[in-house]
Amino acid sequence: MSALNELDIQSLLSGYEQKQFSVQEVAESCLKAISEKNPKLNALLEVSPEKVMARARELDGASQDLSRLKLFGVPVAIKDNFLVKGWQCTAGSKILEGYRSPYTATSVKRLEDAGALIIGKANCDEFAMGSSNETSAYGPCRNPWDLERVPGGSSGGSAAAVAASMCPASLGTDTGGSIRQPASLCGLVGIKPSYGRVSRYGIVSYASSLDQVGPFSQTVWDSARLLEVMSGFDPLDATTSKAAVPNYTQSLVESGLSQVTLGIAPKWLEGLDSDVKKAFDNSVAALKKAGATIIEVDLPRTKYSLSVYYLIAPSEASSNLARYDGVHYGLRAKDFKDSETLYNRSRGQGFGKEVKLRIMLGTYALSAGYYDAFYLKATQVRKLIQEDFESAFKKCDAVLVPTSPSTAFKLGEKSDDPLKMYLSDIFTLPVNLAGLPGISVPCGLDQKGLPIGLQMIGRPFEETKLLQIAKAHEQIHGVMKRP
Amino acid sequence: MLSKEEVLKIARLARLELSDEEISFFQNRLTRVLDYMTELKGIDAAVGSSVRHVPVDCEEFRKDEVVTFPDREALLKNAPSLEEGGFLLPAIMETE
Repeated sequence: MSALNELDIQSLLSGYEQKQFSVQEVAESCLKAISEKNPKLNALLEVSPEKVMARARELDGASQDLSRLKLFGVPVAIKDNFLVKGWQCTAGSKILEGYRSPYTATSVKRLEDAGALIIGKANCDEFAMGSSNETSAYGPCRNPWDLERVPGGSSGGSAAAVAASMCPASLGTDTGGSIRQPASLCGLVGIKPSYGRVSRYGIVSYASSLDQVGPFSQTVWDSARLLEVMSGFDPLDATTSKAAVPNYTQSLVESGLSQVTLGIAPKWLEGLDSDVKKAFDNSVAALKKAGATIIEVDLPRTKYSLSVYYLIAPSEASSNLARYDGVHYGLRAKDFKDSETLYNRSRGQGFGKEVKLRIMLGTYALSAGYYDAFYLKATQVRKLIQEDFESAFKKCDAVLVPTSPSTAFKLGEKSDDPLKMYLSDIFTLPVNLAGLPGISVPCGLDQKGLPIGLQMIGRPFEETKLLQIAKAHEQIHGVMKRP
Repeated sequence: MLSKEEVLKIARLARLELSDEEISFFQNRLTRVLDYMTELKGIDAAVGSSVRHVPVDCEEFRKDEVVTFPDREALLKNAPSLEEGGFLLPAIMETE
């Protein structure tokens, strides 16, 4: 049998049911893996063995039978841009160093109510702005597959923690690919749900029309379980949908592909890394062999996604991050003579360069004289991108594309040129702009032995269909091995 | 290329104090990114005034009800400077 920290959620739940081990034993095993591996990986920024073991004892000793809860005794790492009462929340920024969460995010609360155990707060790019975890003020996180390489970002720590078997699952946020791209680079399953599926209450806002919460795990079933627990209307987030939440894990029983049509956009596949292209083609061929119909689709305006995203997201960020003023919470500069100097200096000292760049981009795009040419134009082209997907989904159930054009890159490799870094999210950005669900599943290794991810994009609120296709793919491919 | 003055103007609007090194750094980076975005200029994308941002129905308004946060202390604990239960700021009006 595998060590307890290596078990996936489904195996943990069945082990608890058969009384093979206790929550305390699982928690100890995860904490041991963390103490061994975290010093090298820097995946978790806060770990509290006292809190973890207290919760484990509480679950083990509960008077009524809690073991039937959907996530009973499942250790989960939470990205450090979620508020979890009593834990720190830095969002990877110096400006929030030492901040203690006064309440818990709805998504995390729902996991806890289902019996989950919070194991730690995961490293991330500062304010979730980055694709490599290198913008974190607390140092980069490293990829468990190769310590010289990045785990992806912005939810890099969440991905690395699961890939390194510190815990079976984690939560991240995805504004332009921040769950799917690290899932791809670390060989995991990761989901960005439809906009409005999961509450954003209690996450640190970056770009409110794009941000979504989602899970990382080793298997499709595990992510389906986390998603069904977290999803659904929340009175504290007016953008959550009242649509009923399907029983996603139950729906995985029917994962046949005979009625499924999958779309491929040939223009997206030009100029890909050759190993990525080969793995993608193999997956498509295997899905076809298993009964799916493959067709070509055209998404002509998605090529503008990078420009549109880097106008809309920074514009929203420039407004959302106005709250860091050195007054209500967070870093306050030492020397100031008036309020304006207090604001300017606290923000100047507290924010890192990428965050300042995006705040300034957004401020510029929204400023008098540039609003029409930049921000308004971007919102209009965003609509065209949404229309491209609407027409594609008249012909197919899901669109397939590699999650990232390359596998994990080396630390520092893309830091010199912002566009080079931004382009690593080129296949994930359009999905957020259109509010669609996307899932990344492992689909092979390149010649260096690094994981490659396949992204499946679906219609709004059709997570069930996506998960079924992902499950069928997993049955063909098998679950990705450990680094 | 954005001028140094333009960068300073944006920084002032964004309430960011920048060092001299940062000014030239952002001069380069902002120009690099904004140049790329000129690709949007030629697109005929006018869709009138109704720009739908997200694919979710948010037309229903909730009741505007005040809910008191139960743990005022926990909120205030994160403030860098407090006085008599309030956030402390430098004076905003000149005193005589």
